[in-house]
Amino acid sequence: MKGKLIVLWVLVGIPLLWGVMKTLENAMKLFQ
Amino acid sequence: MTSSFLDRENTIAPPGFNRFMVPPAALAVHLSIGQAYAFSTFNLPLTKLLGLSHSAPGDWDLKEVGWIFSIAIVILGASAAVFGRWVERVGPRQSMFTAALCFGGGFLVSAVGVHLHQLWIIYLGYGVLGGCGLGIGYISPVSTLIKWFPDRPGMATGMAIMGFGGGALIAAPLSVMLMAHFKTETSNGVLETFVTMGVIYFMFMMIGVYAARVPAADWKPAGWTAPAKPKQLVTTANVAVDMAWRTPQFWLLWVVLCMNVSAGIGVIGQASPMIQEIFGGRVTPAAAAGFVGLISLFNMVGRFFWASTSDYIGRRNTYMIFFLLGIVLYSSVPSLGHMSSTALFVAAFCIILSMYGGGFATIPAYLRDMFGTYQVGAIHGRLLTAWSVAGVLGPVLVNYIRQYQIDNGIPKAQAYSVTMYIMCGLLLIGFLCNFAMHAVNEKYYYRGSAQA
Repeated sequence: MKGKLIVLWVLVGIPLLWGVMKTLENAMKLFQ
Repeated sequence: MTSSFLDRENTIAPPGFNRFMVPPAALAVHLSIGQAYAFSTFNLPLTKLLGLSHSAPGDWDLKEVGWIFSIAIVILGASAAVFGRWVERVGPRQSMFTAALCFGGGFLVSAVGVHLHQLWIIYLGYGVLGGCGLGIGYISPVSTLIKWFPDRPGMATGMAIMGFGGGALIAAPLSVMLMAHFKTETSNGVLETFVTMGVIYFMFMMIGVYAARVPAADWKPAGWTAPAKPKQLVTTANVAVDMAWRTPQFWLLWVVLCMNVSAGIGVIGQASPMIQEIFGGRVTPAAAAGFVGLISLFNMVGRFFWASTSDYIGRRNTYMIFFLLGIVLYSSVPSLGHMSSTALFVAAFCIILSMYGGGFATIPAYLRDMFGTYQVGAIHGRLLTAWSVAGVLGPVLVNYIRQYQIDNGIPKAQAYSVTMYIMCGLLLIGFLCNFAMHAVNEKYYYRGSAQA
């Protein structure tokens, strides 16, 4: 059960984290 | 066999099931359908399907293409209202599966529309079919999460609805990357991107279908007992969906959501040109794109932050903050523009957009407080018609008033001042409706068994 829980959170967390990183990268241009 | 897997009875969690498996299921669905907020990345490419590098005769114009998103949002609200009771009856797994078929299918039908260069097929594909996927997918995990987290309903639904905000953060760069990858001398890559995204989103939503579980009828979190004396404006009774919309509370909440969304959505649509025009010449288009990304991020984070906070300070107080702080911030925007303070301007809009997202994420828990858990998903579905109305009202107010001001000789940098004061007026209406909120009259209570 614990393994499944971790896999599930990783599966949804990775794309979300990628999206946040890309957005922050873009947002940095505002302060350059 | 497939139908039995999807049946509600087969999604009842066994004893010892970890309830934290359910939020990622909800997130998988909301992160997918949240793509809708990033659909504008396809707008320009869709106007160059024939000319490729430029719009050729026969290519669609931006106004025609803009209707795809509008239709999808209107259908989102309508389908959430129409299918809400069905979603409650069949449970999260079947409704998530249907949402995945509609949303993924919407992309595939749209790809056919691109191939045949028939815009009406895209209206039907992404707009109507995809819109049904948006509406059903949006409400599919809400009542399940509320039942799993009776101790923290705001946090639980906030986590899921945060996914809808986060979906755009993923979809915007993903769409751009895919179109660049599929671009050839004879295609700008939109068709192939639609097909790829349809398949990717269908598969990603299957994570939700696989992981969704409903709690057993008598299940409670370990060590938790329902408070003997409920907090003010938190009911222990239930109100059925057909009765709920006859209560004044439903319509007060409808206006509360509509006003909060109208104020925020008008700004989201105009964020890029607005910051460039107010700070004329000092904010480049690239920096403005960064501003749009930043407020999208706060829109997402606000959903989790404010909904979780509402578990501690109460739903009504949370909306009081949205409206009062919103009025202060919107009314300060013209002064911040005159002061040429970009940092304060950006900070003000980041907070405003966090409260816009927070409004969406806190409303399911507010509904649960007022109407109980029995058919809260279906009631939420009907309330989302407020979003459809706000989706037209907000942008129309911002765009038309700005244009009216410019046509009357007001410099572009000052053309938003009146708009901001009108947004304050909308928030004041929302504040008054929220202030008038009181417990539902007992005559509306549902007397049957509340086990959905």
